[in-house]
Order: sequence, then C-alpha cells, then structure tokens
Amino acid sequence: MSPLPPVILAPGPQRSRPERVRRQLGIVGAYFAQFLKMRLAYRVDFLVDLGANLFAIGVQLTTLTVLFSKVDALMGWSFEQVLFIYGFSLLPLGMFNVISINLYRFAEHYIADGNLDRVLVRPINPLAQVLSESFNVSGLNEIILGTGIMIFAAGRLDLQPDLLDALVFAVVVPSAAVIYVGVFLGLTAVSFWHEDRMGLSPPVYNVIRFARYPLTIYGRWVQIFLTFVLPFAWVAYMPATWFVDGPGVQRWALLTPLVALLVTSLAYAIWRAGLRRYASTGS
Amino acid sequence: MSDRTATAPTYEVTLAPWRRERGGSVRLYLGFVRLAFLKFLAYRLRYYTGVISYTIFVAGNAYLYRALFASRAEAGSVEIGGFTLAEMITYIAVAWIGRSFTFNNIDRTLSHQVQQGEIAMQLIKPFHVQTVMMFEAIGEAAFRLLMFTVPIMVVVVPLFGIHGPPDPALYGWTVLSFTLALIMNSQLNFLVGCLAFYLKNITGVIRAKHISMDFLSGVLVPFTFFPEWFQTVVAWLPFQGLSFVPVTIYLGKRTGPDLAEALIVQAAWAVGMFLVGRWLWNRAVRQVTLQGG
Repeated sequence: MSPLPPVILAPGPQRSRPERVRRQLGIVGAYFAQFLKMRLAYRVDFLVDLGANLFAIGVQLTTLTVLFSKVDALMGWSFEQVLFIYGFSLLPLGMFNVISINLYRFAEHYIADGNLDRVLVRPINPLAQVLSESFNVSGLNEIILGTGIMIFAAGRLDLQPDLLDALVFAVVVPSAAVIYVGVFLGLTAVSFWHEDRMGLSPPVYNVIRFARYPLTIYGRWVQIFLTFVLPFAWVAYMPATWFVDGPGVQRWALLTPLVALLVTSLAYAIWRAGLRRYASTGS
Repeated sequence: MSDRTATAPTYEVTLAPWRRERGGSVRLYLGFVRLAFLKFLAYRLRYYTGVISYTIFVAGNAYLYRALFASRAEAGSVEIGGFTLAEMITYIAVAWIGRSFTFNNIDRTLSHQVQQGEIAMQLIKPFHVQTVMMFEAIGEAAFRLLMFTVPIMVVVVPLFGIHGPPDPALYGWTVLSFTLALIMNSQLNFLVGCLAFYLKNITGVIRAKHISMDFLSGVLVPFTFFPEWFQTVVAWLPFQGLSFVPVTIYLGKRTGPDLAEALIVQAAWAVGMFLVGRWLWNRAVRQVTLQGG
C-alpha cells in the first residue's frame, strides 16, 4: 500500500501591502453594493425606515423647542448653541449608524446563530466583513438633517468658519464616529466571553441620547464618567465646543482624534482576544 | 411513571366536544398567563441590563430637568408646566417605572410569526389568537413586575429620593391605572402587529410606533409643557392613557370626578381597541398567504 500523496495547498497570490488594502476595500465596496440591491428589493420597508428616522429627529427637535420655551437659556447655554451641538451630534451618529447595525446584533446573529464561522473561513479581515455585511442606509438621513440643523444654528449664532475651522471639522467628525465604533466594538467583543443574545450594548446605546446636551448641565461625577470612562462626551459635546463657546467649556476638542485612537485600539485588542478564544456554538 | 404490560392496551379516543364546559375557556386562557410567566422567567438575566437602562433614562432626564429648573429659578420661578422640581423628578421616575411594567413586544412577536409562517399553527388551534396574546401579555407583565419593575424601583426610588403620592389611596388608583395602561398597550401592539399581514416586514412601523408612543404618552415631556392646542389634541388620543394619566394620578393632579373620568376613558379605549383589533384580525387572517411550511 503506497502512502498517500502529500496535500499541497497552492500558495495564495503574493500581494504587496497597498494591493492587499486595495483588494479588501474593493471587496467591502462589493458587499455594500450587494447590500443596497438587497435593501432596495423591499422598497416600502426602506421608505418606512426613512420616515421613522425623520420622525425621531422631529420629536427630538420638538422636545428641545418645548424645553427652551420655558427658559431663556439652559445653565447658560442658548437654544441656538444647544441646537448646534444637537445637529453636530447627528453627523457622527449617522456615520456610525450606517455601519453599526451588525455590531448591535453581533451576539445574536454572529455568535448565537453561528454566522461567525462563515466569516472566519474567508480570507478577509473578519471585522471588515462583519461591519460591511449590512448597512443601515437611513443613517445617511441623520447626516443630511444634522448638517441642515447645524448650518441653521450656525447662521443664528453668526458663526463665520474659516479654513482652520473647516479642517478641524473634517478631522473631529469622523473621529467622533470612530469613537462610537470603538465603544460598541469593545462591548460587542465582550460577547465572546459573556454569552447572551442581547449583549451589553442596549443600556450603553441609551446613554447616547444624553450625550448631545452640553456636558456642563450634568453633575460632576457624570461629567467625569462621560469624559474618561464611557467617552460619550467626545462624540458631540467636546468636538462641538471648537465651534460654540458656552459657560465652563474645556476646549479639548482637538483631543478627539486621540480619544478615538485610544478607544479603538483598546476595543480592537479585546476583539482580537475574543476571536482567539471563539469556539463556535457547535451546532 | 406507568408500567408497561405485555399486551398492547386499547385506547378509547374521545374527542373533546366543540363547546368547552363551563369555565373551560377561562382555565385555558389562564394557562397562557402561567406559560408566558414561565417563558420570560427563563430569560430573566437579560433584564439586569434593562434595570441599568431604565436607571440611565431616569438619571439623564432628572439631570436635564434639574438644569431646566435651575435655569428658571434665577428668574424667581419654581414651577414649570404646573410641576415643582420634586414633582417633575417623581414624574419621570414613576413614568419609567410604569413603562417597565406595561411594555411588551406583541407587535414584534406577531409579525415574526406571520413572516416565519408559524401563525398557521396558531390558526388551527381552538382559541382566538388575540385573546391568547392578551393573556400572555398579562403573564409577561406579572413577570416584569416581579423581576424588572420592582428591581428598578429598588434602585431608582432611593437614588432620586422619590416621594409617595399625597394621599395613600392614590397608590391603589395608580396601580389600577397602570393596569389599564398595560391592557391598552397590548391592544395597541396587537393592532400594529396585525399590519404584518399586509406589509410583511413592519420593523420600520414598530420603530415609528415606539418613537410616537414615548412622545405622545408623555414619558419624555409632560403635556403641560406644551402649548394649549397640543394638549387638546393629545387629550383625544389614546396614548396619554399609557403614561401621562397614571403618573398624574400618582402625583395627585386628578382627584374626585377627574380621577373617575380618567380611569373610565382608559377603560373605554382598552375595550374600543380590543374590538377594533378583533375586527382587523378577522379581516386580516382571511387574506393570509403563507410561504412554504
């Protein structure tokens, strides 16, 4: 009996680093196009979802208007200033919402239902796949409306942005979106240890709605918590203070990219550690 | 445990008569209360994060209103929209505590069953799905009361120094009012769930419902903060019965005939929505199309 011939796996094509990055981005683009086709097949859902989004923003604006109909200023912050921060907050939130949907249901869809196995056998970064398998297109809505609200408030505040402001804006808004991704990636990665379909995200998600008010209206401990522990002070208020000046602001806006880097590095480390110990559901 | 005999036993099969004996329906539906309670008990761990969520909602809003009242106090006024700050904090806490009890996902359950075709199994069973879901909602609420509402109260009440109602009798009326709110809410969710027969996917509709309910029930901002015309509009809608009515009862803002009227209006909405739900269900199931199965 002759020994079995050795199995030789063909080596993958040798690609240079820029080639690899280009290839991965191309695949993410293809995922996105595929997702859009899938989404547009259910046109009514899509429109209802957009409507619900508009409605949510309408309700939030109404709440803000009603509260400010009772006072001239909220702890020294004018309506226009709070409105500016609110509009600003919708941009990173919208960006995050476009790609976040799979992080939110990661524990259920990928771990409990075993879909992560499918992801892991493919030669693309697992996180890139998870993030790009589903998009929440209605997040674009938040970006557009947030921009509108912000421009309106900026006009009322008579802000005259110069080139430097534009540059800061171009840096802090994506950084704030990255902070969201980092926070929820970290929480999601905990699902590798703590197996529950719901995961830890929902309570944290509920904190977001309070992150768009000026931080100074909260008590000292809440301020410290939101600045250094759960860094939601950095997703709207801190970066927005580059543009609006209220009572007691710290002027830490330019630290936003640094916070984004810290948060995502930590989250990605937890994610990598979680992936290493992932053993599938076995069913 | 039964012994097995060597010879095959013979069975006499008797089909239950189509009409149940007296009290049979009550026993049947009460069984669903128990089953729902046990089903949710299996997932009780999930509600720990929920306790944190609700505490965050109360805390965030409490800070917001504290800031609002502090900004107003400079002008020498201590009441906004007919509430003092202490009443306002109580309003928020009681509203969210009540919401933890009345909340359910009947709409999502129903739409899931329609999408997955499981509804076919429900349709061939000898009960009315609407009634079953209402009783399951009661079972779920009993579970939520014990494992969710009470823990939230234990955290929130001392943390924010929540006061009792001005008159101890109001505890009873508040509980009754929140119970009516629970029935209203499950009827409303059932109506929304029925839309799945027509639209198939109703996740967007459910999201819109959550947003409008939190807004129109008064959980986020009490109606007395709004202009007069808005208060007139919401008075004619059912949503205020879900939160604003029970909370204002707790705060002693409704007494005597006002209190009776508020409870009767809640009950009327509950009955009205039940009847509309039955009518809609009976129409919807006639045109149900199920894939595969």
